[in-house]
Amino acid sequence: STEFFSKHGSKLEHLFAHPLYKISLPDLGPDDVLLQKEELMEYYRRKVSRWERQQKYYIEAAAASNISVFDQPVTFDPHASWLKFHLGINRHALYSREDDNIDRLLQDMQSAAIISADYTQDEKALKGLCDCTQVVKPSGHHLKLALKLQDFGKAMFKPMRQERHEETPEDFFYFVDFQRHNAEIAAFHLDRVLDFRRVPPVVGRLINMTKEILHTTHNEDLRSVFFTSPANNTCFFAKCLYVCKTEYAVCGRPDLLEGSMSAYLPGLSIAPRISIPNPWIRSYSFTGRAEWEVNPLYCDTIKQHYPYNSGDRLLNIIDMAIFDFLTGNMDRHHYEIFTKFGDDGFLLHFDNARGFGRHSQDEMSILAPLSQCCMIKRSTLLRLKLLAQPEYQLSDVMRESLDRDPLRPILTEPHLSALDRRLERVLRVVMKCVKKLGEQQVVIADIEEAS
Amino acid sequence: MILFRKFRVLILMVFLVACTMHIMIDLLPKLEKRATGPNSGNGGCSCSHNPSEEPRNWAKQRARSAAEPGWPNKHTLRILQDFSNEPNSNLSSHSLEKVINTGDKAESFKRIKQFAPNADGQKTLIKDTRDGRTQPVQTVSRLSALFEHPLYKTDLPPLTDDDTLFNVNTDIRFYPKAAGNQEWHNEGNEEDEEYNPTGEATAESYPNWLRFHIGITRYELYSRHNPVIDALLKDLVSQSITSVAMKSGGTQLKLIMTFQNYGQALFKPMKQTREQETPPDFFYFSDFERHNAEIAAFHLDRILDFRRVPPVAGRLVNMTREIRDVTRDKKLWRTFFISPANNICFYGECSYYCSTEHALCGKPDQIEGSLAAFLPDLALAKRKTWRNPWRRSYHKRKKAEWEVDPDYCDEVKQTPPYDRGSRLLDIMDMTIFDFLMGNMDRHHYETFEKFGNDTFIIHLDNGRGFGKHSHDEISILVPLSQCCRVKRSTYLRLQLLAKEDYKLSSLMEESLRRDRLAPILIQPHLEAMDRRLRLVLKVLADCVEKEGYSAVVEDDLDGQPASHQRPGGR
Repeated sequence: STEFFSKHGSKLEHLFAHPLYKISLPDLGPDDVLLQKEELMEYYRRKVSRWERQQKYYIEAAAASNISVFDQPVTFDPHASWLKFHLGINRHALYSREDDNIDRLLQDMQSAAIISADYTQDEKALKGLCDCTQVVKPSGHHLKLALKLQDFGKAMFKPMRQERHEETPEDFFYFVDFQRHNAEIAAFHLDRVLDFRRVPPVVGRLINMTKEILHTTHNEDLRSVFFTSPANNTCFFAKCLYVCKTEYAVCGRPDLLEGSMSAYLPGLSIAPRISIPNPWIRSYSFTGRAEWEVNPLYCDTIKQHYPYNSGDRLLNIIDMAIFDFLTGNMDRHHYEIFTKFGDDGFLLHFDNARGFGRHSQDEMSILAPLSQCCMIKRSTLLRLKLLAQPEYQLSDVMRESLDRDPLRPILTEPHLSALDRRLERVLRVVMKCVKKLGEQQVVIADIEEAS
Repeated sequence: MILFRKFRVLILMVFLVACTMHIMIDLLPKLEKRATGPNSGNGGCSCSHNPSEEPRNWAKQRARSAAEPGWPNKHTLRILQDFSNEPNSNLSSHSLEKVINTGDKAESFKRIKQFAPNADGQKTLIKDTRDGRTQPVQTVSRLSALFEHPLYKTDLPPLTDDDTLFNVNTDIRFYPKAAGNQEWHNEGNEEDEEYNPTGEATAESYPNWLRFHIGITRYELYSRHNPVIDALLKDLVSQSITSVAMKSGGTQLKLIMTFQNYGQALFKPMKQTREQETPPDFFYFSDFERHNAEIAAFHLDRILDFRRVPPVAGRLVNMTREIRDVTRDKKLWRTFFISPANNICFYGECSYYCSTEHALCGKPDQIEGSLAAFLPDLALAKRKTWRNPWRRSYHKRKKAEWEVDPDYCDEVKQTPPYDRGSRLLDIMDMTIFDFLMGNMDRHHYETFEKFGNDTFIIHLDNGRGFGKHSHDEISILVPLSQCCRVKRSTYLRLQLLAKEDYKLSSLMEESLRRDRLAPILIQPHLEAMDRRLRLVLKVLADCVEKEGYSAVVEDDLDGQPASHQRPGGR
């Protein structure tokens, strides 16, 4: 029906046509939707008029100090794709399966004009403080930008830091690993293939650093980190990481730069979220070990405590662990939920840039929640089994899905085949659990039998 | 006068020498056990060895001094403690951060005192090491053929006391007195007898690092065929490391290593593989320092016959036993960790690339590095630091004056010390040296204060050379193309090294093969040197064409015909 699924005879299309991907969810009540349309429109309108006011002052000020500014026209569009995306967020997922707006949103993020660039909130929150002795850098230290598009949608831009074929060096700890733009993109596709729909839409984009960042930003600090390299390329850097000499600048060729564009969620003022430490958080030190790494009965303790003692929360954590294991992301220290949906809401799978670092290694410790708790959602297990079958092979559907990104290829073949291998290992862990505890105990029915 | 006074103690001297010989003969079996190398057996009679019998090939030279191994243990301990308090080295690779303090000075006196109880043998040492030139070629290597060439046999002016860094008859003997003999006894080391200040030890019994220091003159850091240099290179690789400290100041991580024989060296760990090139977007001041560049620079400098780089050797160091376990530096010790791949890693503390992301990891605990011999302590031999007139801006956007003013050299030529003497020509030598390596980071250079303005310049800190083999940074040659001046000796040698028989890349390859960490440079780097040499000669040819040979080429050979070799030494 949509452009995204239009390719006939494709494995991906077959997958999405499978009954498992057709299970309908209960009807949504007003409390099951994140935002009210009127409220959001009002919020949007206010933002646009504030922007136009500020832009006027800014242009006057710039003219006074002889800086040329590119005045980008802003359009107020009540049908903007990002707006529809925000309105579609509900208790069950970030978007629905048949939502053709997501493809529009991806398209817009990839091609819409950029009207402004700025640092992200967590970078600004650091207030320019750099502590070079910190081994684990706060997330605000990493180079990423908030880009505003012509229709006022916002996207988080993470520039390319590593070539596709490069792996994380073997001596690197998970907390110093690179941030990979292709991992962000691939994580979104994987999440969609797994039918979780908990990752905000991400698309790759080639950015003109000069025109689309340097010339559009109003942030003096951001402008000051731009320079021209000896090879005549335009470069910019993350201030703290550059000052601390942990990371060099990111450079374009000569000013075109690859990166991932990740759609913003509704602002915290209209849709508050809370960030919760992952019970299976790592020690984030060279030597320390977290409790779960030494205590095989760790899950028994977790199960007894709120909010993991009731509802779907623990099962959601296990979904997330499976997702992270497939990508090889060891850096899931926190997860976020929308406050509005309470404890049973889905978990947002944010910040996946540290996945897909090593195709030759499967980090089994990421699966600890599954292997220690020995429980899994029935719907998840059925889909995983489906994706292990040759007709729906995970690597094939992922390759096909990723092929739709403008920056293709997103993942190299070894990464794709690693997905199949890891999927096998997940299923083996589940099998072991079933053998030990019985299917009744392990596979938790969350859906009506569909097949 | 000095000699006349000596007659009075001559009899006593002879007696003491005889005693020493006895002690030495007694100790000989013990020493043999400790000494390494096949030739160490002659160590006991090194005082009588004839330098002309030594093979030309310096890889074969294994001459060792008798007293070098076997220092008393208590002594070692004391030195160790003293050094650990003094992480500031005397070799200031980054001259701006140079620190001299009184603790350093006292320590240096103590050290000199131990090794130079009597400096009478000194003159012979210097002479011996200079005489090695006349011996016949024993191998058919290109390198020995090069050193046989008349251009590599030119003489230096005769040396006076003012031309040696340490005036052996006064200075070195003076140091123990200055430090006070009392301190010596305070140590209460009875075993020290054999090194007591009245002095039986001969110059040959000094450790190689001290012999290297004593050999420094107004014209060179070491003489052409000085066996001490090869012995020193061997020491750098084989001496056991007794203490390690982090060098403060400096931008990138460097360690000061102290050896069993109290010699010291600057350790630069491997940061990049041989194949890696500097990324094109890196500025010269963000580039990594490369240990192999340090090693290669020493060999290149020797092949160019400049001899202005302190000896450097590559060494595989055990990070656990030879760094972590022997350092008393908490800051350094604290940064050791075990990586997920079970390798030992550390990152130290410095301003550039000292973070987990740039940790230096062994395999699992062996790490490569370069060890550069220390120059004499600043307390004993002060050095002057000069700003390179062609210094870069060290700024991302700003340009330096020389980059915009084509007549910049005319200005420099009129400014002291470039208005007279050979300083400007020395800068030209350095420019050529840096261009061949691709080192853009020559912001300062140093000289020994004692020699005033009429002396060579020391080529320290070459770690940023050999970063890009596919790129020739023409801007490094700007001093040469702006000034259009060169020493005749340098010019002739460069022309020689461009010939097929003496091809620079082959010579470098052969020379570098002698290093423990060979291969030091990959083939593209070696070939780049040939290409760059041709570019240098092209610039000079253009200069000669434009301004005439005599205006460009300064005859520093002083009537010595390049084709004729003077017989013997002085």
